[in-house]
Amino acid sequence: MNRSAALVASAVLLAGVGAWNAAAQPGLPQQAGAAITSIARPESLRFAVVGDAGSGEAAQYDVGRQMSAARETFPFEFVIALGDNMYGRQEPQDFVTKFEKPYEPLLAAGVRFFGALGNHDRQENRFYPGFNMAGERFYTFVRQDVRFVVLDTNLLDPKQLAWAEDTLNAAPEAWKIVYFHHPLYSDGGRHGSNVELRVRLEPLLVRYGVSVVFAGHEHIYERTVPQKGITYFVEGASGQLRKGDLQRSPLTAAGFDQDRTFMLVELTGDRMLFRTISRTGVTVDSGVIVRRSTT
Amino acid sequence: MTTHALPHPAALAQSRHTGGALFHFTIEHFLLLPIGGLIALVWANLRPESYFTLSHNLSFVVNEIGMALFFALITQEIVEELMPGGALHTWKRWTLPAVAAVGGLAGSTLVYLAYVAWRYEAVLLPGWPVAGAIDIAFAYFIVKAIFRRHAAVPFVLLLAITADALGMFAIAARQAFVNVGSGGSALMAAAVACAFIFRQMKVRTFWPYLVICGPMSWWALYLDGFHPAFALVPIVPFLPHVPRSLDAFTDTPDRRHDSVRHFERLSRYPVQAVLCLFGLVNAGVLLSGYGTGTWALLSAAVIGKPIGILAATGLAVALGLRLPIRLHWRDLVVVALATSGGFGFGLFFATAVFPVGPILAELKIGVIATGVGVPLAFAAARAVHAGRFGRHAHHA
Repeated sequence: MNRSAALVASAVLLAGVGAWNAAAQPGLPQQAGAAITSIARPESLRFAVVGDAGSGEAAQYDVGRQMSAARETFPFEFVIALGDNMYGRQEPQDFVTKFEKPYEPLLAAGVRFFGALGNHDRQENRFYPGFNMAGERFYTFVRQDVRFVVLDTNLLDPKQLAWAEDTLNAAPEAWKIVYFHHPLYSDGGRHGSNVELRVRLEPLLVRYGVSVVFAGHEHIYERTVPQKGITYFVEGASGQLRKGDLQRSPLTAAGFDQDRTFMLVELTGDRMLFRTISRTGVTVDSGVIVRRSTT
Repeated sequence: MTTHALPHPAALAQSRHTGGALFHFTIEHFLLLPIGGLIALVWANLRPESYFTLSHNLSFVVNEIGMALFFALITQEIVEELMPGGALHTWKRWTLPAVAAVGGLAGSTLVYLAYVAWRYEAVLLPGWPVAGAIDIAFAYFIVKAIFRRHAAVPFVLLLAITADALGMFAIAARQAFVNVGSGGSALMAAAVACAFIFRQMKVRTFWPYLVICGPMSWWALYLDGFHPAFALVPIVPFLPHVPRSLDAFTDTPDRRHDSVRHFERLSRYPVQAVLCLFGLVNAGVLLSGYGTGTWALLSAAVIGKPIGILAATGLAVALGLRLPIRLHWRDLVVVALATSGGFGFGLFFATAVFPVGPILAELKIGVIATGVGVPLAFAAARAVHAGRFGRHAHHA
């Protein structure tokens, strides 16, 4: 990717940033392209986020097309998939119709997906090459100065907790981003916050300087007011949708429950810029998160 | 305040007597477990943060250590009933309930697996032993309440004990398959050998078995990845035993120098306290956490298990076995429904199979929901005129 493309991409990503507060309000989505302000650098890290995507239905294909279109101006390097990457039957042909076809242009362009396991995913899906999990239920990877830690919250056994603590503790990277399927904080009407998981995971996230957590499970998009310094995103509407299920509360910073969505994220220096886009290409949320200090 | 406002000494004595009777009733009917569970359920849904913090802090001590005492008592029941004079000693007495238990487990397993496969949530598949769990005390008291003294009572006890023994075996076998040993086998062999030596030395107090062999066995299981709550299971058979009558919940004669009786008497209150804590630590779930596992378990326990019990019993009778005297088919329908409730055993099996997380929570809600078996059993008894609802109640 050349420098000019990166600058354009950063500018487009930030299209909604200038209208951050407006985008956070319900019913006030921002059209892509408005209020461009570029602060990003070419060496920034860009990725996309999908969750609860693998329905194989038309809506998932629509989101896939929007992601491909977005990548023309915002060349993200990889995608993190927050679980429920496959719904229903999970035979070899289903991996084609529910993953490879919807994201065909992205995969053809070399974009890699890094999956987390959801409750609808077969545990064996960790061996599927397209999810890049190397056969592990929980794993970690590093891009630039960012440590990603991926957990399997279906089965949060002591071994996994100990591994997560060791991994986060030993990570020298400036940014630490954790993602898994079940949200620790959410105003989704169906499940809501998973407090049992929160009691076990939140102390680690706080102690080891995690700045951002992504989860799915609730079939809506949601961003929380920072909790103990951490911003929690719920992106569970990239294939499934539970329309009107967001029960707004003081916890809710922004949310969208009217259509499918995906996220674009850029990390540059100590800032994370994000933008959430609907199936029809409308920006429904955007903003900047400043990295937490690890000291 | 006048002295008239103070309670009369007789009233105080009466109050103490009532309190004592209530405590005794609670202990005798194993109600501390459901009481602990009820408190947990309400607490978790009103103040989840504080509840799950407490649950997290207590779970290891209660589930992995305290429950070892409970399973020691259950093992003791089974061992004694296998001895001469025990209910499981002759094959004629236990074959039919055992066949019914296998049928119940098969029925619940089939329904559970079918439901999970239908919903394509394979992560739930290992939970099938949970669906087959039967809360022994719960089933006993339902059947006792409906039939009073009747052949249905020992039948349901045998059925429940066998079903849970099968479930425990299935879970232990799975853990043996899944986990790679880490040197625990040698330690377990030493623990068992130690218990054997005590037995040969005719050690009649249970303390050496508990204090020396128990921790060795616990550590051995822990090292090998087995659930350490089963630590006393391989040790208890070495305690000197005497046969007992089947009605496990009636008072037994005091045999002060009998190590098992001594163990049973001393562990009675601690075990009940552990069961109360077990309910408190494990039964608290957010009711919004229901899901496929909940429905799979509920349908397996309330539909699959009773049908499996009836089908297996019918097959056994067709092959020549006989129903116990005065146990009719209509009674068996009620007995089968009374086994729906998993509760204590279901919760334990669930925590043994799944670690903390939403999958475990789904199953826990399903286990709690199996309480629907209580009204179903009573409704069935009323509908078929069984037990106390019979036109001619057939008491023994």
